[in-house]
Amino acid sequence: MSESTMPLPPEAGRLPRWASLGVLFGLVCAAAIALYGPIGVSSTYARVIGASLRAIDTAYAHANPYVVKMGSLVAPETMLVIGLLIGGYLASAIGGGRKAAAPIEPVHAYETSAVRRYIGAFVGGFLLLFGARLAGGCTSGHIISGITQLSLSGLLFGAAVFASGVPVALSLKASHPTRQQ
Amino acid sequence: MTLIAGLLVGIAMGALLQRVGASSPAAILRSLRLQDLTVIKFMATTIAVATVVTYGASHWIPMHFDVKPTYVLGVAGGGLLFGVGFAVAGYCPGSCVVACGEGRKDAFATVAGGLAGTLAFTLLYTGLEPVFILPINFGKIRLSDVLHVPAFAVALALASILLTIVTVVPTMKRGMRSATPDSQTAP
Repeated sequence: MSESTMPLPPEAGRLPRWASLGVLFGLVCAAAIALYGPIGVSSTYARVIGASLRAIDTAYAHANPYVVKMGSLVAPETMLVIGLLIGGYLASAIGGGRKAAAPIEPVHAYETSAVRRYIGAFVGGFLLLFGARLAGGCTSGHIISGITQLSLSGLLFGAAVFASGVPVALSLKASHPTRQQ
Repeated sequence: MTLIAGLLVGIAMGALLQRVGASSPAAILRSLRLQDLTVIKFMATTIAVATVVTYGASHWIPMHFDVKPTYVLGVAGGGLLFGVGFAVAGYCPGSCVVACGEGRKDAFATVAGGLAGTLAFTLLYTGLEPVFILPINFGKIRLSDVLHVPAFAVALALASILLTIVTVVPTMKRGMRSATPDSQTAP
């Protein structure tokens, strides 16, 4: 628990924010493994789709091996995702940074209108979850929980994410930092 | 009980991701463009602490380990697709949910896209499984199993490497403005 054992030099007399928040998150991740299991987010998307398919076409859902495999929406992982929503709201409401009318942050130069940003955000989300479900996990399940447990799949997934993410991010021109939409 | 634990872990995780700025797509892109490594250093610190505490504590209390199988084609192929989505959206599957709580409107589009991607995967699963998931599958294998070294020793070594990297590598690319408001200067 002691931060004094961390070989990080103090910046302006104290740990940088990313380091102290990282220590806290590390303890939260370890606590999750002690209490019920490693953290993971992307499986909840699959359980939401599974529950929806069961409601729409029960016969198909029972015949789809992936829906059967992912199981019921009543799971700690589902509660974790609800918690993310609450935690994001609380931290931005209490800690500041919650804008009255939250603007869409400029990210890429080609997102010249709000509609273009929405399209990019949707397409990106599609690729994220198709990829995460194919790989069996995402940033939390594979990279954080996976590497924490020293799994080879976590290391392989993390390497693949940065192998495509960094060149694609560098090739997409950045939006001008001062432009607001 | 595990449902309440999951909820509390989620609230803590959501608050920490929001505080470090990981729910900001602009911050994710600055990380992926290697201009500002704040979020990457946060994650590396998280893993360093979590691996040592988890394997350290496992000597005294039972831990609910759950290692994911290493099926090379699906994990690597999925990771490559995920990286493209990460760079295009500026969100990951968790940070977009945090961002929804924060009130970022584009995050709802990423969640919707994520549900569509999951639906597509679910419908295509029986075709994808024999190609990407069943072949070249090493099962639930860990670095410590490959190296034949106790897991706690590997955890300590991994944590030392990660903490050395986050200490030595500069957070900001030279010439980049700091993204933190307190040190931001007018151009």
